Amino acid sequence: MAVERILKEYPYVVELAERLRETKLKVIGDLEAYVERAMKSVERNGGHAYLAKTKDEARKIVTDVVREAPAKEEGKRKGGKRTVVLAKSNVAYEIGLREGLIKQGFEAWETDLGEFLVQLRKGWPVHLVLPSLDLTREEAGRLVHGIDKNVNEDSSIEQIVAAVRGFLFEKYLAADVGITGANAVSADTGSVVLVENEGNIRMDTVMPRTHVVVTGVEKVVPTLRDALDEAIVQSAYAGLYPPTYINVTTGPSSTADIESHRVSPATGPRDFHLVFLDDGRIAASKDENVREALLCIKCGRCYFACPVYRELGREWVGTGSPYNGPTGVVWNYITNGDPWPAFLCAHSGGCKEACPMKIDLPTIIRYVKSAGEKKL
Amino acid sequence: MDEDKIKDRVRLIRSLVTRNLMRDYVPFPMDRKLASSWALPLDVPRGGDTLIYTSYMYQMSSVFKSYGRLLPKIGSLASSSLVQGLGARVIKPSDEEMKRASSILSNAYSLIRASGVEAGYLYEEEPYSGALLLEMGFLDELKDYGKKLLSFFRDRGTKRLIVLDPHTLFTLTYLKREVGFDVPFQHYVDVVRGAKGEGNFVLHDSCVFSRLLDRYSSLRDFIRQTGISLSEDELVTGRATGSCCGGPLASLDYELSEDMAKQRAEELKRVNPRVLVMCPICLSQLSPYADVRDLLEVIRRERKLEVGHSQGGRLKRDGGGEDPEGIPVRRRAG
Repeated sequence: MAVERILKEYPYVVELAERLRETKLKVIGDLEAYVERAMKSVERNGGHAYLAKTKDEARKIVTDVVREAPAKEEGKRKGGKRTVVLAKSNVAYEIGLREGLIKQGFEAWETDLGEFLVQLRKGWPVHLVLPSLDLTREEAGRLVHGIDKNVNEDSSIEQIVAAVRGFLFEKYLAADVGITGANAVSADTGSVVLVENEGNIRMDTVMPRTHVVVTGVEKVVPTLRDALDEAIVQSAYAGLYPPTYINVTTGPSSTADIESHRVSPATGPRDFHLVFLDDGRIAASKDENVREALLCIKCGRCYFACPVYRELGREWVGTGSPYNGPTGVVWNYITNGDPWPAFLCAHSGGCKEACPMKIDLPTIIRYVKSAGEKKL
Repeated sequence: MDEDKIKDRVRLIRSLVTRNLMRDYVPFPMDRKLASSWALPLDVPRGGDTLIYTSYMYQMSSVFKSYGRLLPKIGSLASSSLVQGLGARVIKPSDEEMKRASSILSNAYSLIRASGVEAGYLYEEEPYSGALLLEMGFLDELKDYGKKLLSFFRDRGTKRLIVLDPHTLFTLTYLKREVGFDVPFQHYVDVVRGAKGEGNFVLHDSCVFSRLLDRYSSLRDFIRQTGISLSEDELVTGRATGSCCGGPLASLDYELSEDMAKQRAEELKRVNPRVLVMCPICLSQLSPYADVRDLLEVIRRERKLEVGHSQGGRLKRDGGGEDPEGIPVRRRAG
């Protein structure tokens, strides 16, 4: 009921959501052009922009950037492996990024607390916004014991959080590359907007010398104002409003404080890379039966409105996709071509009612079932 | 999720249901005489311009559920003639279930008549709507069957269908859009006038009726007008938060379907031990786990309306539009 309370208290969020739906529908109607415009804006700001068609291509681009990134420590400069800190990103899961980096020998740490716990347990997120929703305090304590012997199953939540903070702070200081997702990317300014509460994204985007953003092409919106609207709407419908932080990143850090001469870097990163992932999204934008699914702002509200997700949880879509619940059934189809979890949709319709973008998920899921049936 | 199991079931159900529907107008082997026997004591006219359309939903929802449970046991044999012939004799509703269904359908007929509408019935000739095809996403198959269904009613000169359950209503709404199903249809709550009921219940919304067909508010208006009061809890009966009985999944994953039914029944009982439904699938699913009544079990006609005095009107959809057909209740010639 947190969302209902938020919407009652901040009714302008509903208006923003309605406007955002219209804006994003317009973008989806001409997705490639908006992506191109956003990429040009990023380049104009001194950043680097890429469009990866597939998961493998995206992972390779990011891995190459990490490999070539400037290192903070002398030892790493002479061929040592880079340290990477990651903010929670579903696209990073979609392309198998963390595991891919670790396999390549890099040190990679999730910095969102929920994702960090998922990493410690070698698990898979159970929800888009609350990845460790299924974990108890005792289980979290036992997991964190692995990095801090002072913490155990009897520790308080405050003690657990403090221990993780201490552990991750050392990683922020050592990190050569920070990798984030994006809540939205503005085509006009090439800005990346990220909303959060923990403060880890601030650290991930400022402490390392290289910031890499990996996100889906559907996150493009026309203007920075639209991008900020999306951050506001996403946090409200995720039940976390007002957000503690909204981060805007537009290229590498810079300063013009001396003789008005702009130089880069300043205090923040020296390099900024934006990797857009297609992975079925552009094809979906041209398919009238599923295109509306691209409006999803990944608030995860539909998960809780779905009786099947409430019964099956992570097991519904499984570990082949970070997307679960009603929206995930469709996203799993878009990004993996997998229609089978859709057949367990009971068409309760709660998802459509809960969705801030009013995506007609029951109808889309029925189409996904139909597409699956044709494969048999 | 067991992908192979899903594929096997989908393949099996498609083959079984499509074959039966295209040949016999019913999805599974069933005793159609038994299913239509409710109308005999009432001497419901056979055929006619206006038909009460049960689509076998109240009579056979337990049978559909049984097929869901038995499919994994009979497997691919389900589509064989031998098993199909056996099915109609072995898989049938219990006497108690048939008695309950007969009572519900009889009351529906009485309520409709008392509202000034003369409705006939096709008895064992009645075709199934194809709702299961829609639930399963067999959209091409449904379109094919929908055309056949339309011809069936056109051939009989049907001018109007009065539908008793949400799934049939939803299917006909889909067919109207997709294949031009132009036989007018209405749900009984848009036809029945002056019904009376009493008692306090928690309403378990039909997902199809209240959310997918946008009737959440107008259904409550109808129920409250009868004199029944409803207990509400935003977390249990809210438009976005109300949950499913699990029925649509019975043929794919029987255990999941039952788990959902149990869970839903527990939620509802926390609000009120007396649960009200308006869908035969919800009734069948939730009845083992709670004290459940169908709306057609708790409303009665207040008085028989005189011919020509029906208050034929139009219930608004929640979205502000008219009912799917926008049909006023036809008045009997006075």
